[in-house]
Amino acid sequence: MEKLLDCVMDLGEQMLICGGEVHRVEDSLKRIFSVYGTKRTDVFIITSSMVVSIHASDDKAYTQTRRITEIVTDYEKLHKLNELSRNICQNMLSADEIKEKLNSISTGKVYPIWLEFICYALIAGGFTLFFGGKITEAAVSLLIGLLVRFIILISDKTIKNRIMAKFISSFSATALSFIALRLDIVPTVDNIIIGNIMTLIPGIGLTNALRDLFVGDSIAGLLRTIEACITALALAAGFFSIAFLMGGI
Amino acid sequence: MKNIEIIQLVVSFIGSLCFGILFNVRGKKLIAAAFGGFISWGLFLLISCVISNESITYFIVASIVSMYSEIMARVLKTPATPIVTTSLIPLIPGGSLYYTMSYAFESNFDKFIEKAVYTLQLASALALAIIIVTAVSQFLFKKVRIK
Repeated sequence: MEKLLDCVMDLGEQMLICGGEVHRVEDSLKRIFSVYGTKRTDVFIITSSMVVSIHASDDKAYTQTRRITEIVTDYEKLHKLNELSRNICQNMLSADEIKEKLNSISTGKVYPIWLEFICYALIAGGFTLFFGGKITEAAVSLLIGLLVRFIILISDKTIKNRIMAKFISSFSATALSFIALRLDIVPTVDNIIIGNIMTLIPGIGLTNALRDLFVGDSIAGLLRTIEACITALALAAGFFSIAFLMGGI
Repeated sequence: MKNIEIIQLVVSFIGSLCFGILFNVRGKKLIAAAFGGFISWGLFLLISCVISNESITYFIVASIVSMYSEIMARVLKTPATPIVTTSLIPLIPGGSLYYTMSYAFESNFDKFIEKAVYTLQLASALALAIIIVTAVSQFLFKKVRIK
């Protein structure tokens, strides 16, 4: 039973890391344990921590906690983990089988890094057009998008602080747009900055946060809301410092 | 149809596609998500011809797109969240967040609060729509669902 708890905890942890919602993970764990005939299952999960306690049929209680420090959204992995949890419920896999399947999932396919660069550029350039920018503005925005991805790559390897990384990205994106403005390449910076904000914005974070709140996972929702607000503040701080340095918008 | 609207439709498809790639959505799910982005902006343009209140339009569009995602999720046997979040990318109020910031910078506090509240309204409209549709579809699909 202890071994089983261990690998089911791993499953839940992986789900949270790759962007699974709190109630999905809670629900999956409860279902899995009920299949294995536990007398009582207590699951408490927030985005940064898991506490699970089960009372086995032999009246022994087992408890484990996990600390989740980072979230890397990977929906393909979430898809596979979700399939695995269904599989466990249907076929009552043994602990070793679960462990083996988890290992094969954690080495799943990801897109190559150059494709991410292209995506950042396309999102930034595209949304500049979307919000009414001209072709030249979109081209500048596209280049800045590429550079922003590059800056994120470097800051991920050096400072390892998400909030700081957002600040630096927003700072450099705004700085580059103002340089383009000063060189008379573009008439205004508004649409370029908006395009680049789209790649940095915590929009999905905020929507997920509100959803957690409305569903009733208040603590997880509040944590996410605060995280989204601080990220937005970091973006704004990057924007403000450049705007001050350059003397107005 | 105006030029800008065609551009917006193309961008909403590409934008959702690119975000899908960033979130490692793969295969048919990626196509479903990108097409969802196209649908959400298309519906937004259509409905905003009839209803002038943007929050209500956002709510209606997000509800329809969530239904689309729930259906696609059942068809492709995958969680609905990846498809909903990527499909709703074009509706993320990036523009109004930017103007919120720039009004704060200009110390134009009346407009700042107006924009800030507006941005929150749009985000809540999206979230509410997703929750309602998720709850209803879980109720509806309960019998079909594999347990």
